[in-house]
Amino acid sequence: MPKVTINDRTVEVEPGTNLVQAALKTGIQIPHYCYHPRLSIVGQCRMCLVKVEGMPKLQAGCSTLVMKDGMVVRSDVPEVREAQAGMMEFLLINHPLDCPICDQAGECGLQDYAFKHGVAYSRFQFEDKRTYPGRERIPLGPNVVLNMNRCIQCTRCVRFTQEVSKTGALGFFNRGARTEIGTFPGKPLDDDLATCVVDICPVGALTSTRFRFAERVFYLDKKPSLCTGCEVGCNVTIEHRRGHIKRYKPRFNPDVNDYWMCDYGRSTFERYQRLPRLAAPRARSGHEGNGAQPTGWREALDALARGLRQRSGEGAVAVLGSGFLTNEEAYLFAALADLFATPHRAVPVDVGRPRTIPNLKGGITGREYAPNRRGAELAGLATGEGGLGAEDFLAGDGAARCAALVVCDSDFGEAAHRPEVVERLRRAPFLAVFGWADTPLARAADVALPLAHHAEKEGTFVNVEWRVQRFDRAFPPPAQARPGVEALSDLLARFDARWAGQDAARVFDRLARENPAFAALSWAELPATGAPLNVPEAAAPPVVGAAAEETF
Amino acid sequence: MSEPQARPAPPRLSAAARAELDAIRRRFPTTEAALIPALHIAQREWGGWLPEEAIEAVAVELELPAATVYGVVSFYDLFHQRPVGRHRIRVCTNLSCQLRGADEVLELLRQELGVGEDEVTPDGRCSYVHFECLGSCDTAPMMMVDDQYHENLTPLRVRRIVKDLA
Amino acid sequence: MAAFEPVLTRNVGHPEALTLQGYKRGGGYEGLRQALAMQADEIIEAVKASGLRGRGGAGFSAGLKWSFIPKGGDKPKYLVCNADESEPGTFKDRLLMEHDPHQLIEGCAICCWAVGAATCYIYIRGEYTKAAEILERALEEAYRGGILGGSVLGSKFKLDMWVHRGAGAYICGEETGMLESLEGKRGQPRVKPPFPALVGAFGAPTVINNVETLCNVPHIVTRGADWFKSIGTNEKNTGPKLYAVSGHVERPGTYELPIGIPFRELLDVAGGMHRGGRLKAYIPGGASAPILTAEHIDLPMDFDSLAKAGSMLGSAAVIVLDDETCMVRSVARLAKFFNHESCGQCTPCREGTNWMELLLDRLEHGDGREQDAALLLSICKNVAGNSLCALGDAAVGPVKSLVERFPDEIEQHVRDRGCPFPRRRWFQDAA
Repeated sequence: MPKVTINDRTVEVEPGTNLVQAALKTGIQIPHYCYHPRLSIVGQCRMCLVKVEGMPKLQAGCSTLVMKDGMVVRSDVPEVREAQAGMMEFLLINHPLDCPICDQAGECGLQDYAFKHGVAYSRFQFEDKRTYPGRERIPLGPNVVLNMNRCIQCTRCVRFTQEVSKTGALGFFNRGARTEIGTFPGKPLDDDLATCVVDICPVGALTSTRFRFAERVFYLDKKPSLCTGCEVGCNVTIEHRRGHIKRYKPRFNPDVNDYWMCDYGRSTFERYQRLPRLAAPRARSGHEGNGAQPTGWREALDALARGLRQRSGEGAVAVLGSGFLTNEEAYLFAALADLFATPHRAVPVDVGRPRTIPNLKGGITGREYAPNRRGAELAGLATGEGGLGAEDFLAGDGAARCAALVVCDSDFGEAAHRPEVVERLRRAPFLAVFGWADTPLARAADVALPLAHHAEKEGTFVNVEWRVQRFDRAFPPPAQARPGVEALSDLLARFDARWAGQDAARVFDRLARENPAFAALSWAELPATGAPLNVPEAAAPPVVGAAAEETF
Repeated sequence: MSEPQARPAPPRLSAAARAELDAIRRRFPTTEAALIPALHIAQREWGGWLPEEAIEAVAVELELPAATVYGVVSFYDLFHQRPVGRHRIRVCTNLSCQLRGADEVLELLRQELGVGEDEVTPDGRCSYVHFECLGSCDTAPMMMVDDQYHENLTPLRVRRIVKDLA
Repeated sequence: MAAFEPVLTRNVGHPEALTLQGYKRGGGYEGLRQALAMQADEIIEAVKASGLRGRGGAGFSAGLKWSFIPKGGDKPKYLVCNADESEPGTFKDRLLMEHDPHQLIEGCAICCWAVGAATCYIYIRGEYTKAAEILERALEEAYRGGILGGSVLGSKFKLDMWVHRGAGAYICGEETGMLESLEGKRGQPRVKPPFPALVGAFGAPTVINNVETLCNVPHIVTRGADWFKSIGTNEKNTGPKLYAVSGHVERPGTYELPIGIPFRELLDVAGGMHRGGRLKAYIPGGASAPILTAEHIDLPMDFDSLAKAGSMLGSAAVIVLDDETCMVRSVARLAKFFNHESCGQCTPCREGTNWMELLLDRLEHGDGREQDAALLLSICKNVAGNSLCALGDAAVGPVKSLVERFPDEIEQHVRDRGCPFPRRRWFQDAA
């Protein structure tokens, strides 16, 4: 592989690597706006100009490729600094400098580079700034707003819609200093990936309708996590302020979602704010009475254990899982089912319109609106022989045929909110419900136990391509809510003391030891980008081509 | 551009225009390459300018995103996004013509036609714009009326040319 | 000066040459016939040996350019003839196309044979409707006459040639802007490398030559490289050259002369200064060329002499300015042009050309500041060499030369709070 020397640091790179990428490998940042690793190289912004030995003019780092050994590059010489300062000046003379009212402030390429590469005074003193009257807050579609005054014409967004989402919804209009971006009338930017253009816009020209004015970005805590919107398992950053999630941003994972995620996924945290929270455990004291009353965890778990012991003598115990459970929660929930040797352990998930997230292998399509149906099944939540399936519970008399039903979790899908489903499940003589949301189903339960939602706990999910991915807790759960692993471990300990004190790491490692699909994996060593499971399907990821054509 | 709104199916190019375009398409290995010829044809069909429906018709014909087609339309000076007169006058005002009085040609047109640049006379007859070099610097000042060059202009000639426009 | 036998313009004023028959009678298509009997390499070598340099502006060796086209390969190859003549002051290619279309077709055909191209697009600026029609008619005749199509002059060589009309954008005269436009896109120049010789039109190897350049080719084939080299200043500046003279001269027009004729002689040929004015400045190579002054009157008008003097031959569009001309106003007009024509994709050109226009406009209209001259130079420095294509450098040419060569005029504009030059009324009816 050819070697290139940048600012006296030498690095070996694949032939054809551009200088921006090569410099990154040596820890040197070459400033750039228009370059993005997944978009065609256009060399427009001219911020990445560098000195290449033997070349008379400065070269654009993004479009200069390392082909053979011995290239010597400098980004720290006066002529490069002058060019960078010159480009910054050009970009700023017609920029409104409205940072105090701009959502991008704090994560803005113009702000950052102006400090690093610009000068602190303006020579553009006697002319009027270029403005685009009436184009300061144009909705390009339902989720993206354009402020043309702030645009630096890098065309990342235009290229994204042409090359990645392939809708061509955005165009580059007019010419010269009047160049602007926009949509064609009647053809808004409203595909599944629309908000990605906000992510890649280096300035505040494109902002997210969902996030506009929700929070100054410098107040946000950022934690890596996974999207729970569907089975693709997009890697996200949860951005929150004191436990209030303000937005999801896609987090780069070339094996899954690359740099992208869908707009539906971005909206899924809103559920945590929209649905009432199950704040404290509730238990029904007697067999009759007016519903479950708030109580403590110990009492509620005692009541649940007692209920299961009593009812198990009268008939079958059933568990109804959820595609939102982590593998570890599912494993413990399955262990509960094992205690009663029940085959009734279904996992209902909603199936809907497929959405495809593009990546270098083509893309991943999700149809199930839950992140972990596969993992839950692998962990033991699969209907056994003669067991009742999800439909038997949701549409049939499954619950009525059992002596006790434990549901985890209360928001397993759209059905959990339908009165007739709640009524059907309630026909179980004893009904216990775990969950973060105080759904109608939780309110109908004999015992209701408040859990952490996914941002408040850690765990692993298995996505549609059978990749297991780990996520960490972004912030602690409120007052009495507890991570499912903790709660289930306490419940199981009431039947067998050896279950006491489980945590996600121990459960995962146990699962890995027992289940060949997880062979050789361990919690501590699970790679940041996840790992393919040892299942035949993982070797041959589903064909996504056809679905991709449908959706876009 | 105006706000997005729902509209009926876009109109198509006429059969004759489509036939003309089909012949041109065969010259290129890609469909997109026929875009500029297609826009010339569409502009002729729509009376000298390209309203949104014309842009959409071309986009449908060549299976291109409308935003891409609009991007091309707005790039080129010969494509008009606003109504024009039946006759379109382009006055070269670049340096060689400026040295020979092009600005005064523009001023005379304003007087004769009674409208400003890029406006259409009330009778719809005429519109005029200043233009970059039209490659007729040796006959400055000059102007282009529709497809015809008028060179070595004098006030008398300009008046006569304008008067003769139907 | 001894009379120079016109080569490229020999058919100007002979309308019979517009027809295939007429053109053939004057020896037309003899070059193509001879070329078809030659090996491709022989032709390329001959063009190289002739010293023919691109007449569009860059002055790159035409033969060398052809030799960059890879031999063989499974991709088609293309010739794109640059007939997008838009450089202000330039009108020579229009003359060649309107008066001798077959000469261009013949030149294109020889080039295609030499580089192995089976398709040629003549990209003509949209405003040249008359030239386009004449070319279309000539092409039709050429197809009918067996010059083009499935068997060129009865040989196995297949060649298609089309006129492709642009739609009004100076930047499409830039090679890769032209290719983008040909492909149906906005004419935004591409990042180079790759160069068109390897990745050009539709991703295939492509030669792009100017009209005048290609018109020279049949003559090089029939009369030989040595004949071509015998015309001109020196080994590196050879052949006949069209000079398009405009501005304050008595007889503006296109003049075919040996390349390298001193400006003084060219001015004489064009009838001297208009209405007896005095020469103040001239632009030797179109709007992009830095402005020269009266002290440069004896410069040979060739590529290297003009480059040495800090300007360029460019398209050899010579704009002559007399001493009553305001240089600030003139350059402000050119700055307006470059701002209008900047494609808008790269930062320095988009913002720099706009800023320069604003500054010069302000200066001309009396709001100039003392620091403006230095600021203009600084903007020039930040644009020049940093833009994606050559338009940035082109826009800098006139502005930089204004500040460097006419500082007094700028100062006067600042001091007088306006333009010190009277407006002349030259647009008048004959008395």
